[in-house]
Amino acid sequence: MIKFRNVTKTYNKTVKALDDVSFDVSGGEIVGFIGPNGSGKTTTMKLLTGIIKADKGKISVNGFDIREDPIKAKQSIGYIADSPDMFLRLKGTEFLELIGDIYKVSEKDRRERISSLSEKFGLTEALSSPMMSYSHGMRQKMMVIAALLHKPPVWILDEPMIGLDPKSAFELKQLMRDHTKEGNAVFFSTHVLEVAEKLCDRVVIIKKGHILYSGTLEELEKQNKNDSLENIFLELTEK
Amino acid sequence: MKMYLRLVSALIQGVEPSDKEKKRNKAFYVVMTIIAGFGIMLPMTFFVGVIIYALTGSLKALELGTTQNGVELFLHLISAFSFIFGLNVIFSVFYFSGDIENLLPLPLRPYQIIASKFTAALISESVMEVLVIIAALAGYIIGGGLHFYSWIIALIGTLTVPILPLVYCGILCMVVMYFTRFVKNKDTVNKITGIFTFVVIIGIVFLISKSGFDTNELIKAMSQPNNGVLSVMNCIFPHIQFLVNSMEPASLWQIIIYLLINGAAIAVFMLLAQLLYFPSVIGIGQGSARKHRASSSIIAKMKKHRPSVTYLKKELRLLVRTPAYFTNCVMINLIWPVFLYLMVVMQGQTNFLESFIYGIHSGNEETVLLFMLGIVASSVLVTAVNCIASSALTREGKHFAFIKYIPLPYIAQINIKALVSIIISGSGMLIYVIAACIWLNTGIKFTLFCCLLSLLSVSFATYFGIYMDSVNPKLIWDDELNALRGNYNIFFNMAMAIVIAAAICAGSYLLFRFTDLGSITVLIILFVVVMILNAVSYLLCHYRATKNIDNMLI
Repeated sequence: MIKFRNVTKTYNKTVKALDDVSFDVSGGEIVGFIGPNGSGKTTTMKLLTGIIKADKGKISVNGFDIREDPIKAKQSIGYIADSPDMFLRLKGTEFLELIGDIYKVSEKDRRERISSLSEKFGLTEALSSPMMSYSHGMRQKMMVIAALLHKPPVWILDEPMIGLDPKSAFELKQLMRDHTKEGNAVFFSTHVLEVAEKLCDRVVIIKKGHILYSGTLEELEKQNKNDSLENIFLELTEK
Repeated sequence: MKMYLRLVSALIQGVEPSDKEKKRNKAFYVVMTIIAGFGIMLPMTFFVGVIIYALTGSLKALELGTTQNGVELFLHLISAFSFIFGLNVIFSVFYFSGDIENLLPLPLRPYQIIASKFTAALISESVMEVLVIIAALAGYIIGGGLHFYSWIIALIGTLTVPILPLVYCGILCMVVMYFTRFVKNKDTVNKITGIFTFVVIIGIVFLISKSGFDTNELIKAMSQPNNGVLSVMNCIFPHIQFLVNSMEPASLWQIIIYLLINGAAIAVFMLLAQLLYFPSVIGIGQGSARKHRASSSIIAKMKKHRPSVTYLKKELRLLVRTPAYFTNCVMINLIWPVFLYLMVVMQGQTNFLESFIYGIHSGNEETVLLFMLGIVASSVLVTAVNCIASSALTREGKHFAFIKYIPLPYIAQINIKALVSIIISGSGMLIYVIAACIWLNTGIKFTLFCCLLSLLSVSFATYFGIYMDSVNPKLIWDDELNALRGNYNIFFNMAMAIVIAAAICAGSYLLFRFTDLGSITVLIILFVVVMILNAVSYLLCHYRATKNIDNMLI
């Protein structure tokens, strides 16, 4: 569902953020994207969602090229950005209404999904208040609800667990599993290796714009004589 | 000292565009600086200089020893405006910049933080005042035929005149924040300072219009050795008289007293700030916490709309609900005629309106043309000044990426943002255009043409403003006021609007005066020109602004 082929991105013609990077994410897969700070994770997320343009390479989401067919590609994506501080002067309902209308969610569907998701994340009572009065965690939950509102086949989540309380983090992980069971794809970045270990079908490890590893955790552990993911990660990224 | 300078430099970064933003389009900055320089700064500086030069010359000719009264009054006015506009700057830099939580844990002495913040506020406040002060002092020096030594005093004065008003602002803000809890909210403070600013400006306009503003009367009043207004102002801003007195005859003592007053003011401010600032800044918030109410019934009421309708509602809500935007972008549309009236009154043309009304009623071609040109010029300028369009992308700030990842074409989003500007600027303009037409009893066809011309001018200025903002939007800002203040795009757009409006109006008027074309023909040409400008600005947005957004690195 995600095809990221031979992508290169350079900032200001000097800093090479990604260098000929390729990976795929298939339907039914949760793929964790891990790497140290400044490795190119957020750049990859931004390229996938059409926020920035690649210098070289092809990116397609759900069969739609992000440059040639951006609207259809974006319609297929549920994206959680790295900062949840968005339109804080809108009320929760107003923000969700905006998202629902932009992604053309029917009245019936949006009511059902907002009710169910806000119930899951314990946000129902706060929906009628301006988001400025929300805590950081509540804002993050709001971003999760907004990203999932149109039932996108592909989830692209940039550090989605940050700010979530344990119950909400559990709910999100459960949602990710349920989503992929229906044949959809989840691609998310994280610094928490335990989350990747417990949740992901595959991991992509990136460092300084190069993919160091792409495959299942079992294969990775086998290759590294059953060492812990933490040790393997440190070994790979500190080489 | 080194730490203080580093802190000042770091704090100024929040106000100035970042190096990355500057580098993004160097040529754009160079061209716009030249246009802004020739379009706004030079004419304004020249105007102030000439007024003070003429006033000083007139007072000198009277030989009553009151040559300095004109420049003294002007510097008092500048100080008063520094105080009025400084309140927002002080609140913004000292209380709402969001950096205090990062500064407090650092091993810095309290006075280093306070001094660097005050300096940052002073620099931010002085940027727009420097040229005006130096122009006034230059007008005084040349008009009074003063010694070369006066230029050195003028330089000192230019850099230091806003210090005392800003100290007043600082003390007032800290006392208010220390002793009141209800204003520990950015929105409340912005609302209060916004209302205060408008009340003071309207009060000044009222006083000036009540006094009739006669140039001869002004010179007469200024020639009085014991001028009442100056005596009162000298009590409020005592430093000004010493600055001016030190220039003629050259007096070292007077300038030393001037510097001592500024030094003492800073010392008092620093002492009070160490007592009041830190207790009052801790715990400050942007919004008030509130109890959340059950909203299951609200979910049931949610309705589906077209994306453009909801997007438009979102834009309008953010403009109206954000006090900084409401005051600077929305309110200004309703009060601009006050400034227009002030300009008419200050020119001392008391019979201007009567002759204008007579001209319209008698169908005088020149008056009718001038009326239409006035509508075009004010529509373009009001749209530029309210900066709804020229900050349309800037206001997105940190969540600019939203524009890029939602499945809505860029041009559709630009059109909605343009519609917001056209609705607010256009409705503000139409209220006054229709009121003026009814008052002048111009007839329905004339009124409709005026409305159409106004809306087309607003539309052109809107699309042009959005294009200007797309070239290099200022996306890094701490609070909403900073998105507008110190935003060079808005300033450059205003300069361009002045240049374009002046070119259209001057061109049309010259065509009428120096050719055989009648006013109707000139108005048709004007209409066609405005239509062409609309097409050009729309195409700029369609092809260039969308490309600029697409290419933007976030």
